[in-house]
Amino acid sequence: MPGLYFTTTEFLDDAKSAAKDRGMPEIRTLALPADKYYVGRASQQQLQPIADLFFDKMVDALTRPLTPEEAKPSQVQELHENALIKVSGRDFLDASERVNDLFLSNHWADGLPIVPPTPELVKAMEAGTTRSPKDVLAQVAPKSGTATVEKIAINAVMAGAKPEYFPVILAAMEGFTNKHYDLTHVQASTGSFTPVVLVDGPIAQELGFNSGIGMLGHGWRANSTVGRALRLALLNIGQTWPQVNDMALTGRLEAYTFYTFAEDTAKSPWEPYNVSQGFQVGDSTVTVSSSGNPVIFGGGAVAPWTAQGVIDQVVTQIRTRGVVWPHAQKHILVLHPDCAVELANHGYTRKSLQEYLYEQTRVPYEKLAKQVSFGQGTEEDFIRASIADGRIRPDRAQIFLDNLKPGGRVPVVQGPDDFHVVVAGGSPGYDLLFTYPGTNWAHQTVKITGATLTKAGE
Amino acid sequence: MKRNTDWFRAAALLVAGLCSAATASAQVTLEVMNPRGEIPPPKTLGISPRGGNLDGKKIVLIDNGKFGASNFLDALANMLKQKYPTATIVMYPKPAAQTITDLPKWYPTVKQQGDLFVFGVGD
Repeated sequence: MPGLYFTTTEFLDDAKSAAKDRGMPEIRTLALPADKYYVGRASQQQLQPIADLFFDKMVDALTRPLTPEEAKPSQVQELHENALIKVSGRDFLDASERVNDLFLSNHWADGLPIVPPTPELVKAMEAGTTRSPKDVLAQVAPKSGTATVEKIAINAVMAGAKPEYFPVILAAMEGFTNKHYDLTHVQASTGSFTPVVLVDGPIAQELGFNSGIGMLGHGWRANSTVGRALRLALLNIGQTWPQVNDMALTGRLEAYTFYTFAEDTAKSPWEPYNVSQGFQVGDSTVTVSSSGNPVIFGGGAVAPWTAQGVIDQVVTQIRTRGVVWPHAQKHILVLHPDCAVELANHGYTRKSLQEYLYEQTRVPYEKLAKQVSFGQGTEEDFIRASIADGRIRPDRAQIFLDNLKPGGRVPVVQGPDDFHVVVAGGSPGYDLLFTYPGTNWAHQTVKITGATLTKAGE
Repeated sequence: MKRNTDWFRAAALLVAGLCSAATASAQVTLEVMNPRGEIPPPKTLGISPRGGNLDGKKIVLIDNGKFGASNFLDALANMLKQKYPTATIVMYPKPAAQTITDLPKWYPTVKQQGDLFVFGVGD
Protein backbone atom coordinates (compact mmCIF):
# COMPACT_ATOMS: atom_id res chain seq x y z
CA MET A 1 0.00 0.00 0.00
CA PRO A 2 1.61 3.29 -1.03
CA GLY A 3 2.15 5.57 1.88
CA LEU A 4 3.90 8.52 3.39
CA TYR A 5 5.22 9.16 6.88
CA PHE A 6 5.22 12.62 8.39
CA THR A 7 7.76 13.36 11.06
CA THR A 8 9.54 16.51 12.22
CA THR A 9 13.04 17.68 11.44
CA GLU A 10 14.30 16.71 14.90
CA PHE A 11 13.02 13.15 14.45
CA LEU A 12 14.02 12.59 10.84
CA ASP A 13 17.17 10.63 11.72
CA ASP A 14 15.17 8.60 14.22
CA ALA A 15 12.54 7.82 11.57
CA LYS A 16 15.14 6.81 9.00
CA SER A 17 16.97 4.68 11.54
CA ALA A 18 13.75 2.89 12.51
CA ALA A 19 12.80 2.35 8.86
CA LYS A 20 16.19 0.80 8.15
CA ASP A 21 15.96 -1.39 11.27
CA ARG A 22 12.67 -2.77 9.98
CA GLY A 23 13.95 -3.44 6.50
CA MET A 24 12.33 -0.53 4.66
CA PRO A 25 15.09 2.06 4.31
CA GLU A 26 13.44 3.85 1.39
CA ILE A 27 10.11 4.65 3.02
CA ARG A 28 9.04 8.12 1.94
CA THR A 29 9.21 10.59 4.78
CA LEU A 30 8.52 14.29 5.04
CA ALA A 31 9.90 16.29 7.97
CA LEU A 32 7.86 19.23 9.24
CA PRO A 33 9.90 22.09 10.71
CA ALA A 34 10.13 21.23 14.41
CA ASP A 35 10.48 24.83 15.54
CA LYS A 36 7.12 25.68 13.96
CA TYR A 37 5.20 22.42 14.33
CA TYR A 38 5.39 21.91 18.10
CA VAL A 39 4.43 25.45 19.01
CA GLY A 40 1.64 25.49 16.45
CA ARG A 41 0.08 22.11 16.93
CA ALA A 42 -2.48 23.28 19.47
CA SER A 43 -4.85 24.22 16.66
CA GLN A 44 -5.55 23.43 13.05
CA GLN A 45 -5.49 27.14 12.29
CA GLN A 46 -1.94 27.50 13.53
CA LEU A 47 -0.84 24.45 11.54
CA GLN A 48 -2.47 25.55 8.29
CA PRO A 49 0.63 27.36 6.98
CA ILE A 50 2.67 24.18 7.45
CA ALA A 51 -0.05 22.12 5.76
CA ASP A 52 -0.02 24.61 2.86
CA LEU A 53 3.74 24.27 2.59
CA PHE A 54 3.73 20.47 2.58
CA PHE A 55 0.55 19.67 0.63
CA ASP A 56 2.16 19.46 -2.81
CA LYS A 57 5.10 17.51 -1.38
CA MET A 58 2.65 15.03 0.12
CA VAL A 59 0.84 14.58 -3.19
CA ASP A 60 4.17 14.10 -4.92
CA ALA A 61 5.32 11.50 -2.41
CA LEU A 62 2.07 9.57 -2.83
CA THR A 63 2.09 9.58 -6.63
CA ARG A 64 5.66 9.88 -7.95
CA PRO A 65 6.85 6.60 -9.52
CA LEU A 66 9.52 4.74 -7.60
CA THR A 67 13.20 4.91 -8.34
CA PRO A 68 14.91 1.54 -8.86
CA GLU A 69 16.48 1.80 -5.40
CA GLU A 70 13.10 2.49 -3.78
CA ALA A 71 11.57 -0.47 -5.60
CA LYS A 72 14.38 -2.85 -4.77
CA PRO A 73 16.80 -1.44 -2.22
CA SER A 74 20.14 -3.06 -1.64
CA GLN A 75 20.08 -5.70 1.07
CA VAL A 76 21.50 -4.24 4.29
CA GLN A 77 24.65 -6.19 5.02
CA GLU A 78 25.49 -7.48 8.45
CA LEU A 79 28.25 -5.50 10.09
CA HIS A 80 30.72 -7.78 11.76
CA GLU A 81 31.72 -6.13 14.98
CA ASN A 82 34.22 -8.66 16.25
CA ALA A 83 37.50 -7.72 14.59
CA LEU A 84 40.28 -6.38 16.79
CA ILE A 85 40.99 -2.72 16.21
CA LYS A 86 44.60 -1.51 16.17
CA VAL A 87 45.32 2.04 17.27
CA SER A 88 48.86 3.43 17.34
CA GLY A 89 50.31 6.44 19.15
CA ARG A 90 53.68 7.87 19.98
CA ASP A 91 53.34 6.43 23.50
CA PHE A 92 50.70 4.75 25.63
CA LEU A 93 48.94 7.97 26.58
CA ASP A 94 48.77 9.10 22.98
CA ALA A 95 47.47 5.73 21.81
CA SER A 96 44.92 5.71 24.60
CA GLU A 97 43.76 9.18 23.63
CA ARG A 98 43.38 8.02 20.05
CA VAL A 99 41.28 5.06 21.19
CA ASN A 100 39.05 7.48 23.07
CA ASP A 101 38.71 9.74 20.04
CA LEU A 102 37.91 6.77 17.79
CA PHE A 103 35.32 5.28 20.13
CA LEU A 104 33.54 8.56 20.70
CA SER A 105 33.50 9.44 17.00
CA ASN A 106 32.02 5.97 16.34
CA HIS A 107 29.34 6.60 19.01
CA TRP A 108 30.81 3.79 21.14
CA ALA A 109 31.45 5.84 24.28
CA ASP A 110 29.62 8.19 26.61
CA GLY A 111 31.83 11.28 26.41
CA LEU A 112 33.92 10.55 29.48
CA PRO A 113 37.31 8.89 29.04
CA ILE A 114 37.14 5.13 28.72
CA VAL A 115 39.61 2.41 29.57
CA PRO A 116 40.81 0.92 26.25
CA PRO A 117 39.24 -2.57 26.14
CA THR A 118 42.26 -4.67 25.28
CA PRO A 119 41.79 -8.44 24.99
CA GLU A 120 43.84 -8.92 28.16
CA LEU A 121 41.61 -6.64 30.23
CA VAL A 122 38.47 -8.18 28.75
CA LYS A 123 39.71 -11.65 29.58
CA ALA A 124 40.40 -10.53 33.14
CA MET A 125 36.86 -9.16 33.35
CA GLU A 126 35.44 -12.44 32.06
CA ALA A 127 37.29 -14.26 34.82
CA GLY A 128 34.82 -12.71 37.25
CA THR A 129 32.11 -15.12 36.12
CA THR A 130 31.76 -18.81 35.44
CA ARG A 131 29.84 -18.02 32.28
CA SER A 132 31.38 -18.59 28.89
CA PRO A 133 32.35 -15.45 26.92
CA LYS A 134 30.28 -16.66 23.99
CA ASP A 135 27.10 -17.17 26.02
CA VAL A 136 24.28 -15.10 24.58
CA LEU A 137 22.18 -13.36 27.22
CA ALA A 138 19.64 -11.68 24.98
CA GLN A 139 18.99 -9.21 22.21
CA VAL A 140 19.17 -5.60 23.38
CA ALA A 141 16.58 -3.03 22.27
CA PRO A 142 16.05 -0.96 20.30
CA LYS A 143 18.13 -2.47 17.49
CA SER A 144 18.26 -6.01 18.86
CA GLY A 145 22.02 -6.18 19.20
CA THR A 146 23.27 -9.49 20.50
CA ALA A 147 24.48 -9.34 24.09
CA THR A 148 27.14 -11.95 24.69
CA VAL A 149 29.06 -12.22 27.94
CA GLU A 150 32.11 -11.01 26.02
CA LYS A 151 30.41 -7.89 24.64
CA ILE A 152 29.19 -6.97 28.11
CA ALA A 153 32.71 -7.54 29.46
CA ILE A 154 34.16 -5.16 26.86
CA ASN A 155 31.78 -2.44 28.01
CA ALA A 156 32.52 -3.19 31.67
CA VAL A 157 36.24 -2.72 31.02
CA MET A 158 35.57 0.57 29.26
CA ALA A 159 33.59 1.74 32.30
CA GLY A 160 36.43 0.99 34.69
CA ALA A 161 34.63 -1.80 36.52
CA LYS A 162 36.52 -4.45 38.46
CA PRO A 163 36.16 -8.11 37.45
CA GLU A 164 34.47 -8.91 40.76
CA TYR A 165 31.63 -6.56 39.80
CA PHE A 166 30.99 -8.43 36.57
CA PRO A 167 28.34 -10.89 37.84
CA VAL A 168 26.29 -7.91 39.09
CA ILE A 169 26.52 -6.32 35.66
CA LEU A 170 25.50 -9.54 33.92
CA ALA A 171 22.51 -10.03 36.20
CA ALA A 172 21.42 -6.44 35.62
CA MET A 173 21.66 -6.96 31.85
CA GLU A 174 19.45 -10.02 32.22
CA GLY A 175 16.91 -7.82 33.96
CA PHE A 176 17.06 -5.06 31.35
CA THR A 177 16.56 -7.54 28.55
CA ASN A 178 13.76 -9.51 30.19
CA LYS A 179 10.74 -9.49 27.90
CA HIS A 180 8.71 -7.84 30.67
CA TYR A 181 11.11 -4.89 30.92
CA ASP A 182 10.14 -2.22 28.41
CA LEU A 183 13.70 -1.45 27.33
CA THR A 184 12.81 0.19 24.02
CA HIS A 185 10.77 2.80 25.85
CA VAL A 186 13.41 3.37 28.49
CA GLN A 187 16.23 3.61 25.94
CA ALA A 188 14.54 5.75 23.32
CA SER A 189 11.60 7.71 24.70
CA THR A 190 11.44 11.49 24.74
CA GLY A 191 10.38 11.08 28.38
CA SER A 192 14.04 10.95 29.44
CA PHE A 193 13.74 8.12 31.95
CA THR A 194 16.68 6.97 34.02
CA PRO A 195 17.22 3.32 34.93
CA VAL A 196 17.35 2.44 38.60
CA VAL A 197 19.85 -0.26 39.64
CA LEU A 198 19.44 -1.61 43.17
CA VAL A 199 21.93 -4.14 44.53
CA ASP A 200 20.72 -6.20 47.43
CA GLY A 201 22.10 -8.94 49.65
CA PRO A 202 25.59 -9.75 50.94
CA ILE A 203 27.41 -9.03 47.69
CA ALA A 204 26.60 -5.33 48.09
CA GLN A 205 28.74 -5.03 51.19
CA GLU A 206 31.43 -7.36 49.88
CA LEU A 207 31.90 -5.20 46.80
CA GLY A 208 31.75 -1.93 48.71
CA PHE A 209 28.55 -0.46 47.32
CA ASN A 210 27.47 2.71 49.06
CA SER A 211 24.03 2.57 50.65
CA GLY A 212 24.48 5.50 53.04
CA ILE A 213 24.96 9.25 52.69
CA GLY A 214 25.62 10.09 49.06
CA MET A 215 24.35 6.74 47.84
CA LEU A 216 23.36 8.14 44.44
CA GLY A 217 26.50 10.20 44.11
CA HIS A 218 30.10 9.75 43.17
CA GLY A 219 32.99 8.37 45.18
CA TRP A 220 32.26 4.66 45.31
CA ARG A 221 33.76 2.67 42.48
CA ALA A 222 31.18 -0.12 42.67
CA ASN A 223 28.19 2.23 42.37
CA SER A 224 29.83 4.37 39.71
CA THR A 225 31.31 1.74 37.43
CA VAL A 226 28.55 -0.85 37.62
CA GLY A 227 26.12 1.86 36.58
CA ARG A 228 28.46 3.12 33.89
CA ALA A 229 29.09 -0.38 32.56
CA LEU A 230 25.34 -0.79 32.13
CA ARG A 231 25.08 2.64 30.49
CA LEU A 232 27.75 1.68 27.97
CA ALA A 233 26.45 -1.85 27.38
CA LEU A 234 22.92 -0.61 26.65
CA LEU A 235 24.31 2.15 24.41
CA ASN A 236 26.64 -0.10 22.46
CA ILE A 237 24.83 -3.41 22.31
CA GLY A 238 21.38 -1.87 21.77
CA GLN A 239 23.02 0.72 19.51
CA THR A 240 21.49 3.98 20.60
CA TRP A 241 22.71 7.53 20.28
CA PRO A 242 21.25 10.86 21.36
CA GLN A 243 19.40 12.79 18.64
CA VAL A 244 19.44 9.68 16.43
CA ASN A 245 17.38 7.01 18.15
CA ASP A 246 17.73 7.97 21.81
CA MET A 247 15.36 10.91 21.89
CA ALA A 248 15.40 11.62 25.65
CA LEU A 249 14.70 15.31 25.39
CA THR A 250 16.64 16.41 28.45
CA GLY A 251 18.98 13.45 28.53
CA ARG A 252 18.96 11.52 31.78
CA LEU A 253 19.52 13.06 35.19
CA GLU A 254 22.05 10.32 35.99
CA ALA A 255 23.28 10.02 32.42
CA TYR A 256 26.56 8.23 33.07
CA THR A 257 25.91 5.90 35.99
CA PHE A 258 22.14 5.65 36.30
CA TYR A 259 20.62 5.57 39.82
CA THR A 260 22.86 2.78 41.13
CA PHE A 261 22.89 2.06 44.85
CA ALA A 262 22.54 -0.72 47.40
CA GLU A 263 20.01 -1.46 50.10
CA ASP A 264 21.24 -1.08 53.66
CA THR A 265 20.03 -4.42 54.92
CA ALA A 266 21.95 -4.06 58.20
CA LYS A 267 20.00 -0.97 59.24
CA SER A 268 16.66 -2.02 57.81
CA PRO A 269 14.07 -3.10 60.37
CA TRP A 270 12.58 -5.42 57.80
CA GLU A 271 13.72 -8.39 55.76
CA PRO A 272 15.85 -7.53 52.72
CA TYR A 273 13.92 -6.12 49.80
CA ASN A 274 14.74 -9.10 47.62
CA VAL A 275 13.00 -11.43 50.09
CA SER A 276 9.81 -9.51 49.39
CA GLN A 277 10.40 -10.41 45.74
CA GLY A 278 10.53 -14.13 46.45
CA PHE A 279 14.25 -14.65 47.04
CA GLN A 280 15.90 -16.24 50.05
CA VAL A 281 17.65 -14.44 52.89
CA GLY A 282 21.31 -14.43 51.89
CA ASP A 283 20.65 -14.24 48.16
CA SER A 284 22.35 -11.45 46.30
CA THR A 285 20.24 -9.79 43.65
CA VAL A 286 20.09 -6.79 41.41
CA THR A 287 16.86 -5.02 40.64
CA VAL A 288 16.58 -2.93 37.53
CA SER A 289 13.77 -0.46 37.21
CA SER A 290 13.27 2.95 35.68
CA SER A 291 12.22 6.35 36.87
CA GLY A 292 11.23 9.81 35.89
CA ASN A 293 12.55 12.53 38.14
CA PRO A 294 12.65 11.18 41.69
CA VAL A 295 10.91 13.16 44.42
CA ILE A 296 12.53 13.80 47.80
CA PHE A 297 10.62 13.80 51.09
CA GLY A 298 11.46 14.40 54.74
CA GLY A 299 13.49 16.96 56.56
CA GLY A 300 17.01 15.68 56.12
CA ALA A 301 19.42 17.58 58.34
CA VAL A 302 17.56 20.87 58.22
CA ALA A 303 13.96 20.32 59.30
CA PRO A 304 12.02 18.12 61.68
CA TRP A 305 10.10 15.21 60.25
CA THR A 306 7.96 12.34 61.39
CA ALA A 307 7.75 8.98 59.73
CA GLN A 308 3.99 9.24 59.34
CA GLY A 309 4.45 12.73 57.93
CA VAL A 310 6.80 11.36 55.29
CA ILE A 311 4.32 8.68 54.30
CA ASP A 312 1.53 11.25 54.15
CA GLN A 313 3.66 13.37 51.82
CA VAL A 314 4.28 10.34 49.61
CA VAL A 315 0.55 9.60 49.49
CA THR A 316 -0.25 13.19 48.56
CA GLN A 317 2.38 13.14 45.82
CA ILE A 318 0.99 9.98 44.25
CA ARG A 319 -2.66 10.96 44.62
CA THR A 320 -1.96 14.34 43.05
CA ARG A 321 -0.46 12.56 40.10
CA GLY A 322 -3.67 10.57 39.87
CA VAL A 323 -4.53 7.37 38.06
CA VAL A 324 -2.07 7.05 35.22
CA TRP A 325 -1.77 3.69 33.52
CA PRO A 326 -2.54 1.63 36.63
CA HIS A 327 -1.86 -1.59 34.74
CA ALA A 328 1.85 -0.76 34.59
CA GLN A 329 2.60 1.74 37.31
CA LYS A 330 5.19 0.93 39.96
CA HIS A 331 6.73 3.04 42.68
CA ILE A 332 10.01 2.49 44.50
CA LEU A 333 10.00 4.17 47.90
CA VAL A 334 13.51 4.42 49.36
CA LEU A 335 13.26 5.14 53.07
CA HIS A 336 16.32 6.26 54.97
CA PRO A 337 17.01 3.91 57.90
CA ASP A 338 15.78 6.21 60.68
CA CYS A 339 12.45 6.65 58.94
CA ALA A 340 12.09 2.92 58.33
CA VAL A 341 12.87 2.17 61.97
CA GLU A 342 10.35 4.75 63.13
CA LEU A 343 7.70 3.19 60.92
CA ALA A 344 8.56 -0.24 62.28
CA ASN A 345 8.30 1.12 65.83
CA HIS A 346 4.79 2.27 64.95
CA GLY A 347 3.95 -1.26 63.89
CA TYR A 348 4.47 -1.12 60.18
CA THR A 349 5.86 -4.12 58.40
CA ARG A 350 6.92 -3.76 54.79
CA LYS A 351 3.73 -5.52 53.76
CA SER A 352 1.42 -3.42 55.92
CA LEU A 353 3.13 -0.27 54.63
CA GLN A 354 2.53 -1.41 51.06
CA GLU A 355 -1.12 -2.02 51.85
CA TYR A 356 -1.41 1.37 53.53
CA LEU A 357 0.07 3.11 50.50
CA TYR A 358 -2.20 1.16 48.18
CA GLU A 359 -5.32 2.13 50.10
CA GLN A 360 -4.45 5.75 50.76
CA THR A 361 -3.40 6.60 47.23
CA ARG A 362 -6.66 5.48 45.64
CA VAL A 363 -8.28 8.30 43.68
CA PRO A 364 -11.95 9.28 43.75
CA TYR A 365 -13.79 8.09 40.66
CA GLU A 366 -14.97 11.66 40.04
CA LYS A 367 -11.33 12.74 39.57
CA LEU A 368 -10.57 10.38 36.72
CA ALA A 369 -9.54 12.33 33.63
CA LYS A 370 -12.20 12.89 31.05
CA GLN A 371 -9.62 12.79 28.27
CA VAL A 372 -6.51 10.65 28.36
CA SER A 373 -3.35 12.42 27.32
CA PHE A 374 -2.24 9.86 24.74
CA GLY A 375 -5.19 9.23 22.48
CA GLN A 376 -8.91 8.98 22.46
CA GLY A 377 -11.36 8.35 25.28
CA THR A 378 -11.60 8.84 29.02
CA GLU A 379 -9.47 7.36 31.73
CA GLU A 380 -12.38 5.10 32.68
CA ASP A 381 -12.52 3.83 29.09
CA PHE A 382 -8.82 3.09 29.25
CA ILE A 383 -9.07 1.22 32.57
CA ARG A 384 -11.99 -0.85 31.28
CA ALA A 385 -10.02 -1.65 28.12
CA SER A 386 -7.05 -2.68 30.25
CA ILE A 387 -9.31 -5.05 32.17
CA ALA A 388 -10.84 -6.43 28.99
CA ASP A 389 -7.50 -7.21 27.35
CA GLY A 390 -5.99 -8.68 30.52
CA ARG A 391 -3.35 -6.08 31.27
CA ILE A 392 -5.07 -5.53 34.59
CA ARG A 393 -4.85 -9.00 36.10
CA PRO A 394 -8.09 -10.92 36.46
CA ASP A 395 -7.56 -11.23 40.22
CA ARG A 396 -7.38 -7.42 40.51
CA ALA A 397 -9.99 -6.52 37.91
CA GLN A 398 -13.02 -6.70 40.17
CA ILE A 399 -11.59 -4.08 42.54
CA PHE A 400 -11.35 -1.65 39.64
CA LEU A 401 -14.80 -2.55 38.31
CA ASP A 402 -16.36 -2.12 41.75
CA ASN A 403 -14.92 1.37 41.98
CA LEU A 404 -15.61 2.68 38.48
CA LYS A 405 -18.75 4.43 39.65
CA PRO A 406 -19.64 7.57 41.60
CA GLY A 407 -18.26 7.34 45.10
CA GLY A 408 -15.68 4.75 44.07
CA ARG A 409 -11.97 4.99 44.89
CA VAL A 410 -9.84 3.77 42.02
CA PRO A 411 -6.40 2.22 42.71
CA VAL A 412 -3.37 3.87 41.09
CA VAL A 413 -1.59 0.52 40.79
CA GLN A 414 -2.74 -3.04 40.35
CA GLY A 415 -1.96 -4.07 43.90
CA PRO A 416 0.04 -3.33 47.08
CA ASP A 417 3.05 -5.22 45.66
CA ASP A 418 3.50 -2.44 43.13
CA PHE A 419 4.85 -0.27 45.94
CA HIS A 420 8.45 -1.40 46.36
CA VAL A 421 9.86 -0.37 49.72
CA VAL A 422 13.65 -0.24 50.09
CA VAL A 423 15.84 1.00 52.95
CA ALA A 424 18.91 3.08 52.09
CA GLY A 425 20.39 6.47 52.86
CA GLY A 426 22.13 8.28 55.65
CA SER A 427 21.33 9.42 59.14
CA PRO A 428 20.12 12.07 58.77
CA GLY A 429 18.62 11.26 55.45
CA TYR A 430 15.93 11.99 52.96
CA ASP A 431 13.36 9.62 51.51
CA LEU A 432 13.04 9.13 47.78
CA LEU A 433 10.25 8.11 45.48
CA PHE A 434 11.10 6.71 42.07
CA THR A 435 8.16 6.40 39.69
CA TYR A 436 8.27 5.04 36.19
CA PRO A 437 5.54 6.75 34.20
CA GLY A 438 5.80 4.20 31.44
CA THR A 439 3.11 2.16 29.87
CA ASN A 440 4.59 -1.27 30.25
CA TRP A 441 6.44 -2.93 33.05
CA ALA A 442 10.03 -1.94 33.67
CA HIS A 443 10.99 -3.63 36.90
CA GLN A 444 12.90 -6.88 37.29
CA THR A 445 14.84 -8.51 40.10
CA VAL A 446 17.51 -11.04 39.11
CA LYS A 447 19.62 -13.30 41.29
CA ILE A 448 23.37 -12.77 40.98
CA THR A 449 25.10 -16.04 40.20
CA GLY A 450 28.32 -17.37 38.75
CA ALA A 451 30.66 -15.13 40.75
CA THR A 452 34.22 -16.43 40.98
CA LEU A 453 35.89 -13.61 42.88
CA THR A 454 33.44 -13.02 45.73
CA LYS A 455 31.96 -15.21 48.44
CA ALA A 456 28.47 -13.99 47.64
CA GLY A 457 26.83 -14.50 44.29
CA GLU A 458 28.41 -17.86 43.51
CA MET B 1 90.23 21.43 15.90
CA LYS B 2 89.24 18.96 13.25
CA ARG B 3 89.39 16.23 15.86
CA ASN B 4 86.98 18.20 18.01
CA THR B 5 84.69 18.71 15.06
CA ASP B 6 84.68 15.01 14.32
CA TRP B 7 83.85 14.24 17.91
CA PHE B 8 81.01 16.76 17.86
CA ARG B 9 79.70 15.29 14.63
CA ALA B 10 79.86 11.78 16.07
CA ALA B 11 78.16 12.86 19.27
CA ALA B 12 75.44 14.62 17.36
CA LEU B 13 74.85 11.54 15.24
CA LEU B 14 74.73 9.39 18.36
CA VAL B 15 72.19 11.67 20.07
CA ALA B 16 70.14 11.82 16.91
CA GLY B 17 70.30 8.07 16.62
CA LEU B 18 69.30 7.59 20.24
CA CYS B 19 66.40 9.97 19.83
CA SER B 20 65.30 8.13 16.76
CA ALA B 21 65.61 4.81 18.55
CA ALA B 22 63.75 6.17 21.54
CA THR B 23 60.93 7.38 19.30
CA ALA B 24 60.75 4.06 17.54
CA SER B 25 60.78 2.03 20.73
CA ALA B 26 58.07 4.20 22.37
CA GLN B 27 55.61 3.83 19.51
CA VAL B 28 52.69 2.00 21.04
CA THR B 29 49.96 0.07 19.29
CA LEU B 30 46.91 -0.85 21.30
CA GLU B 31 44.67 -3.68 20.21
CA VAL B 32 41.14 -3.07 21.42
CA MET B 33 37.86 -4.91 21.12
CA ASN B 34 34.65 -3.62 19.54
CA PRO B 35 31.94 -2.98 22.17
CA ARG B 36 29.00 -3.05 19.81
CA GLY B 37 26.42 -5.80 19.67
CA GLU B 38 26.07 -7.54 16.35
CA ILE B 39 22.74 -7.10 14.65
CA PRO B 40 21.36 -9.61 12.17
CA PRO B 41 20.01 -7.33 9.42
CA PRO B 42 16.36 -7.73 8.45
CA LYS B 43 15.40 -8.68 4.91
CA THR B 44 15.26 -5.42 2.99
CA LEU B 45 11.98 -4.60 1.27
CA GLY B 46 11.06 -2.02 -1.34
CA ILE B 47 8.14 0.33 -0.93
CA SER B 48 4.83 -0.05 -2.74
CA PRO B 49 4.64 1.16 -6.35
CA ARG B 50 2.70 4.31 -7.06
CA GLY B 51 1.85 6.59 -9.95
CA GLY B 52 -0.95 8.57 -11.57
CA ASN B 53 -2.83 11.02 -9.37
CA LEU B 54 -5.19 11.04 -6.42
CA ASP B 55 -8.44 11.33 -8.34
CA GLY B 56 -10.90 8.70 -7.23
CA LYS B 57 -8.52 7.28 -4.65
CA LYS B 58 -9.40 6.36 -1.12
CA ILE B 59 -6.81 8.09 1.09
CA VAL B 60 -6.37 6.91 4.67
CA LEU B 61 -5.11 9.52 7.14
CA ILE B 62 -3.67 7.86 10.23
CA ASP B 63 -3.43 9.94 13.38
CA ASN B 64 -0.69 8.38 15.48
CA GLY B 65 -2.28 9.73 18.66
CA LYS B 66 0.37 12.28 19.46
CA PHE B 67 -0.96 15.65 20.53
CA GLY B 68 -1.61 17.90 17.53
CA ALA B 69 -1.42 15.22 14.85
CA SER B 70 -5.18 15.33 14.31
CA ASN B 71 -5.02 19.10 13.75
CA PHE B 72 -2.41 18.67 11.05
CA LEU B 73 -4.21 15.78 9.37
CA ASP B 74 -7.54 17.61 9.51
CA ALA B 75 -5.91 20.51 7.67
CA LEU B 76 -4.61 18.13 5.00
CA ALA B 77 -7.99 16.41 4.76
CA ASN B 78 -9.74 19.70 4.02
CA MET B 79 -7.22 20.52 1.31
CA LEU B 80 -7.53 17.08 -0.24
CA LYS B 81 -11.31 17.38 -0.40
CA GLN B 82 -11.02 20.73 -2.15
CA LYS B 83 -8.35 19.77 -4.66
CA TYR B 84 -9.41 16.17 -5.28
CA PRO B 85 -13.21 16.15 -4.91
CA THR B 86 -13.47 12.65 -6.33
CA ALA B 87 -11.09 11.26 -3.70
CA THR B 88 -12.42 9.77 -0.48
CA ILE B 89 -10.77 10.68 2.78
CA VAL B 90 -10.81 8.12 5.58
CA MET B 91 -9.71 9.15 9.07
CA TYR B 92 -8.34 6.02 10.73
CA PRO B 93 -6.58 6.81 14.03
CA LYS B 94 -3.97 4.39 15.28
CA PRO B 95 -4.79 3.09 18.74
CA ALA B 96 -2.31 4.46 21.23
CA ALA B 97 0.30 1.90 22.22
CA GLN B 98 -1.04 2.25 25.73
CA THR B 99 -4.48 1.08 24.72
CA ILE B 100 -3.75 -1.98 22.67
CA THR B 101 -1.85 -5.10 23.57
CA ASP B 102 -0.96 -6.27 20.11
CA LEU B 103 -0.30 -3.29 17.88
CA PRO B 104 1.44 -5.32 15.15
CA LYS B 105 -1.90 -6.97 14.43
CA TRP B 106 -3.51 -3.58 13.92
CA TYR B 107 -1.24 -2.40 11.12
CA PRO B 108 -2.52 -4.82 8.47
CA THR B 109 -6.03 -3.45 9.02
CA VAL B 110 -4.93 -0.20 7.38
CA LYS B 111 -4.87 -1.88 4.01
CA GLN B 112 -8.56 -2.64 4.25
CA GLN B 113 -9.39 1.06 4.64
CA GLY B 114 -8.25 2.43 1.29
CA ASP B 115 -5.68 2.79 -1.48
CA LEU B 116 -3.03 5.09 0.04
CA PHE B 117 -2.08 6.15 3.53
CA VAL B 118 -0.57 9.17 5.22
CA PHE B 119 0.80 8.63 8.74
CA GLY B 120 1.69 11.38 11.15
CA VAL B 121 3.05 13.06 13.03
CA GLY B 122 5.97 11.31 14.61
CA ASP B 123 6.97 12.29 17.14
